[in-house]
Amino acid sequence: MLHGNRTYLLEDSDGQIVHAHSISAGLDYPGVGPEHAWLKDTGRASYVAINDDEALAAFHDLTRTEGIIPALESSHALSYAAKLAPGMSGEDIIIVNLSGRGDKDIQTVAAIEGTGL
Amino acid sequence: MSRIEGTFAALRGSGRRALVPFVTAGDPQPSVTVPLMHALVKAGANVLELGVPFSDPMADGPVIQRASERALAQGMSLARVLEMVAEFRRDDAQTPVVLMGYLNPFEVAGYEKFAKAAADAGVDGILTVDLPPEEADEFCDALRARDIDLIFLLAPNSDEERIKRICAHASGFVYYVSLKGVTGAAHLDVAEVETRVQRIKALTDLPVGVGFGIRDGETAARVAAVSDAVVVGSALINTMEASMDTPERIPEAVAALLASMRTAMDARS
Repeated sequence: MLHGNRTYLLEDSDGQIVHAHSISAGLDYPGVGPEHAWLKDTGRASYVAINDDEALAAFHDLTRTEGIIPALESSHALSYAAKLAPGMSGEDIIIVNLSGRGDKDIQTVAAIEGTGL
Repeated sequence: MSRIEGTFAALRGSGRRALVPFVTAGDPQPSVTVPLMHALVKAGANVLELGVPFSDPMADGPVIQRASERALAQGMSLARVLEMVAEFRRDDAQTPVVLMGYLNPFEVAGYEKFAKAAADAGVDGILTVDLPPEEADEFCDALRARDIDLIFLLAPNSDEERIKRICAHASGFVYYVSLKGVTGAAHLDVAEVETRVQRIKALTDLPVGVGFGIRDGETAARVAAVSDAVVVGSALINTMEASMDTPERIPEAVAALLASMRTAMDARS
């Protein structure tokens, strides 16, 4: 139970909330939204983890190859798509939903990589 | 009759109001808490509210947030809070103890298991800030089965229907939050509190306590004149913070402030 939501939380064995960390502000929260909690419980979605470095690499990959700057949140999904693709046939289709644009994140990325803007 | 009911009945008989100090368990260090509880009773407390430290105390202002952080840094947990209540109970079988906190640690502990452990320790009431009555049945039933009261908050913007619904779930007493804000805020309007408390009392027979924003004898006395119980927390913790260098003197310093509130309240009644 946190902030009025009864959901999946980052917590310790005493029920104290543990600090979240993510390179993307939109993921830097210790709880899961009610819709995702429901999708998990009903088995309609599976959830995997991507670390900061993998997300950053995907951020650059899409920017360089397509000229589309993905949000750091969406970069996590792109990174996982790249992991998934080699195990699939050429006929299979993968859809990645770019939930947001990454021009909002360029200062964050520049600060991490020591690039001046 | 529960300890909480008995306490309010006895006070009513003598025309006095309950003084309810709040301190966070384990703040600033665990060894202070039980001596502090006894000192508060000696200084005139009728019910003790013991804060269960939580990582995200969203109804609390900066003073009680700091208290929670200090207690957690000392390794406080819900289980250790119960140990403190059990230790207090060895020397005080009368004074009701209410645990005030946030739901998550109670839920993680398991309602049934917690209710048994709390009853064994001598806890009389539970106030979880973030548990609305619509979601409270399971916890409420587990506590009632052990004769522990579940205490609810009423806010300045709770309408008549809401007050009725909350009071239908509540036992022990109800706690009127005297202002729209967090604990320890500065803008207490006693005339407004009086109007609201009268409206609540028309809808329930439960005693009505008032808290959030009571800082000294003067405000305690004025709020006591229009309610059944005065809850004071941040002001006590402010006093505690002034004695951080000499923790062994904290019980005495905090009790002195509480005693001044007791004197001011009784002088008016």
